[in-house]
Amino acid sequence: MAEATPILSVQDLVMHYTTRKGDVSAVDGVSFDLENGKSLGLVGESGCGKTSIAFSLMKLLPDNAKIKGGSIYVGGTDILQLSHDELLKFRWQRIAMVFQAAMNALNPVYTVGDQIIEALDLHWGDLSREQSRERIGQLFEMVGLDPKLMDRYPHEFSGGMRQRAVIAMALSCNPDIIIADEPTTALDVIVQDRILRELKKIQEKLGMSMIYISHDIAVIAEVSDRIGVMYAGRMAELADGVDIFEHPLHPYTYALMRAFPSIKGEKHELVTLPGEPPDLLFPPPGCRFHPRCPRATDVCKQEQPPFADNGRGHFVACWHPMEANHE
Amino acid sequence: MNMTVQTSSVDTAPPLWQMRLKLALKNFKSGWAIFKENPIGIIGLVLIVFFALLAALHPILMATAWEPAVYDPITGYDFEILIHPSPPTWIPQPDNPMWEFSFRHVLGTDPLGRDVLSQLMFSTRSEFLLGVGAALVTVLIATTIGAVAAYYGGLVDMIFMRIADVVYMLPFIALLIVLSSLFDFELIHLALVYGVLAGFGGTTIVIKSQALTIKVKAYIEAARIAGGNDLHIIFTHLVPNLLPLSFLYMMFTVTGAIFSEAVLSFFGLLDIRMSWGLMIQTAQAAGYLLNSWKYWYLMFPSGVAITLLCAAFYLVGRALDEVVNPRLRKR
Amino acid sequence: MSNNNDKPLLRVQGLKKYFPVGGGFLRQARSFIHAVDDLEFDIPMGGSLGLVGESGCGKTTTGKLLVRLHEPTDGQIFIQNEQGELEDIAHRKGESMKTFRRRVQMIFQDPYESLNPRRTIYDTVAEPLVVQGIGTIVEREERVAALLERVGLTPATSFMFRFPHELSGGQRQRVAIARALIIDPVFIAADEPTSMLDVSIRTGVMNLMMELAGEMGVSYLYITHDLAVARYMCERIAVMYLGKMVERASTEELLANPLHPYTRALISAVPVPDPRISRQAIDIKGGVSAPIDPPPICRFFARCPLGDDFCENNPHPPMEDKGGGHYVACYKV
Ligand SMILES: Nc1ncnc2c1ncn2[C@@H]1O[C@H](COP(=O)(O)OP(=O)(O)OP(=O)(O)O)[C@@H](O)[C@H]1O
Ligand SMILES: Nc1ncnc2c1ncn2[C@@H]1O[C@H](COP(=O)(O)OP(=O)(O)OP(=O)(O)O)[C@@H](O)[C@H]1O
Ligand code: SF4
Ligand SMILES: [Mg+2]
Ligand SMILES: [Mg+2]
Repeated sequence: MAEATPILSVQDLVMHYTTRKGDVSAVDGVSFDLENGKSLGLVGESGCGKTSIAFSLMKLLPDNAKIKGGSIYVGGTDILQLSHDELLKFRWQRIAMVFQAAMNALNPVYTVGDQIIEALDLHWGDLSREQSRERIGQLFEMVGLDPKLMDRYPHEFSGGMRQRAVIAMALSCNPDIIIADEPTTALDVIVQDRILRELKKIQEKLGMSMIYISHDIAVIAEVSDRIGVMYAGRMAELADGVDIFEHPLHPYTYALMRAFPSIKGEKHELVTLPGEPPDLLFPPPGCRFHPRCPRATDVCKQEQPPFADNGRGHFVACWHPMEANHE
Repeated sequence: MNMTVQTSSVDTAPPLWQMRLKLALKNFKSGWAIFKENPIGIIGLVLIVFFALLAALHPILMATAWEPAVYDPITGYDFEILIHPSPPTWIPQPDNPMWEFSFRHVLGTDPLGRDVLSQLMFSTRSEFLLGVGAALVTVLIATTIGAVAAYYGGLVDMIFMRIADVVYMLPFIALLIVLSSLFDFELIHLALVYGVLAGFGGTTIVIKSQALTIKVKAYIEAARIAGGNDLHIIFTHLVPNLLPLSFLYMMFTVTGAIFSEAVLSFFGLLDIRMSWGLMIQTAQAAGYLLNSWKYWYLMFPSGVAITLLCAAFYLVGRALDEVVNPRLRKR
Repeated sequence: MSNNNDKPLLRVQGLKKYFPVGGGFLRQARSFIHAVDDLEFDIPMGGSLGLVGESGCGKTTTGKLLVRLHEPTDGQIFIQNEQGELEDIAHRKGESMKTFRRRVQMIFQDPYESLNPRRTIYDTVAEPLVVQGIGTIVEREERVAALLERVGLTPATSFMFRFPHELSGGQRQRVAIARALIIDPVFIAADEPTSMLDVSIRTGVMNLMMELAGEMGVSYLYITHDLAVARYMCERIAVMYLGKMVERASTEELLANPLHPYTRALISAVPVPDPRISRQAIDIKGGVSAPIDPPPICRFFARCPLGDDFCENNPHPPMEDKGGGHYVACYKV
């Protein structure tokens, strides 16, 4: 790995939601780095805290959420220490986000173009209308939309077109980092494929860094340089894409990959994990995976395994990792 | 797969009804937990209990402390007091040499020499019966029609909804006034008419729209695939899921019914012998309301009672709304 | 059950379902969505067919037609009756419909909407028995308990009297499977039963369905938008495009040797959960819309990379056997 300072560095992030039943431990001690121009994929099942991490990075938290600890460095500044005004400037210009189910979030009563102009105005201030429209035209072309469509209303767009428009919006302020939370989940495979390829192209062209979030290990495998596997609010394993597929160290990663059907290659038996992910109101002690883990021992039940580098930047949080046969 | 097929342990399980009872209890508890966090609902509930106690206490007092000849809410007369209406006996009356401190008439007497408190308490029961009766009729009608109209759609729906629209637009009170001047209107009739009108109008429309959202749920289709007929689907799937909403609207109907009773009685259009509305009407008929500050005790007790009881049911309804519609919960 | 293995369990011919658009009460609709248009296929006894395609191509409508939640606009649906004879149930009503209801069942996509929130798990699973009047209360209870254990909800007594909201998505889907199997159907239409479940739970439900179908000799139509899932669940796969079936073949044949240009594009777009395998995406232009009054030519023509004058001037191509039961509807292959 190159020794450049990462554009994003998250250390021991802890985030809770307060609810009437108690605290939901949605993110618990998550650490990762994102290098400039690279992409990181966060994969994990529903409710494991992927979106919560994204919201923390944007510092766009719901009222009942609280960051309890850790630090988030973006290009050297800890954004958790920024004032409200500083944050406003920082958000969208340094780090932007495509929200989960964002395509349903477009306001039906304004044209798509106007909604992007609004976002532009917020950050560039004094652009004339012509300048704004020109910029939107460029953005539209970048995401593969006909610029003529900017005066249409969201309902006239198909799901895939809306998703592109939302991506254009995220691009509008030239951010260094884009977080794409389930960018293609509601879309059909053909459209998904096209949008993922376009995102990759844009990333290369603009030299941006990306964080992809998905529950679909196949999507993550295709677009990410590095992959983080999350389980129940914690990062179970973090490594380079190929590495994690060739030598999964965490029993959960291992099971996840063998639970995922593929249309290519041998048709192997699909493994099933017993049980279900824990309720994060009452996460199990020790390793959060231990109730479902075939390798669990007493130490797993009592002590949280450290998130440690097993060499070559392959991090894993497990007391009994699978055999690593790194040559 | 880690699945062990054990022989079922049904024989050792407690009987069905016990399990169901436990569940009902559990559901009630969780609902109550949400309800009790809302001060509005608690205030409403306390008020309702207070009025219920008033109503329950009346016959007891009549049988014990209160002499019927004096305290009967309709035929009573207190000869020991010369001028009726008389203000509460515990308030000093400088211009009345006969006055002495007592709790003989806590809320005074009316122009006909009857005890106001006794009237108030006596009427409470009928107000409850009226309100709850009307509400039951409403819920029965609204739920059935809402469910049927939503389920069948098409012509059935159209006919019912046109009726509902018409009823919804009717000026309620005006219609009741017309009806009651044409027929002898007793409380039970009022309950019925009001219940039907409220049921057919707005409540049906609300419940039907809820039924429409339930009708498209997959469990309805599953029931049809299982071979369930229309009746089965309406009464085991649609209606039970509508009941919480119906119950909510029941609360609002109670409020409306009590209020319309007051209005009708005030115009003397009801064929009843005593009610809160009638108490005000008696005072008004005798011309005492023109000087309402002096004769406040003729109007205030029943006026306040009407307001409070109406508000109570409304508040409980609001709080139940939160239990029934999880969206409204604060968190 | 019948020993008549040469006859298919289910045979569909010329099946159509058109939904009116924009019409209303007493008002004639001027346009129709051709949601399902002229389908033809068999499902053998104990066999399984996967139905794949993009959103809105008519998969759910097909499933609902087969279990007669919709009445077909046209066409026949033959299903073997208890005597092993093929009976057309396309327009069946009344009592004879009720006996048919014992033979087919459906499993729905959304486990949060397919169970009535106000009924216990027991009520839900026992419902088919109750409405069909099968068994005494005690017998029903025993049957439900045994099946709940079989679908992995053990101990059954602790699940029987819970409400759906006390169950997770995977557990609910197991309940739905139990409800579908309780009256020993011969056919089940499963509409994306695992698409809303997480991976680690999904495989359990998939395996369970396959095991039970094998054990009880149930045939099924497995509707999914995920080719990889269809590969694991089904012996044969049929691909739909805007209401038409465009290709049908045995699973491995279809994946290894797709013939229809749409199937090829579809397969090439499926992401592979392994960064070491690279794939070459075949691009097709445009996107899917709804088949509202489509022109009579090939449905795929507007997006087809192979289409030419012949395609443009001829009716929608018929399904043709290209050998070994590999059917394709395309003039250009
Ligand atoms: N506003 C909130 N209040 C309380 N709990 C919340 C809130 N938002 C999320 N949670 C809980 O926090 C946990 C993590 O949620 P999060 O949305 O980050 O998961 P996710 O990995 O993005 O899941 P998905 O794949 O379903 O989007 C979940 O258990 C969720 O129930
Ligand atoms: N009840 C209905 N009334 C009118 N149109 C309908 C109805 N049901 C489905 N359609 C239309 O028929 C077409 C096929 O729908 P269907 O639900 O069968 O698609 P699908 O393949 O199941 O899609 P998805 O993958 O999104 O579930 C769509 O264009 C849809 O809008
Ligand atoms: S720490 Fe223990 S329980 Fe956790 S994944 Fe490793 S072996 Fe399994
Ligand atoms: Mg999320
Ligand atoms: Mg569907």
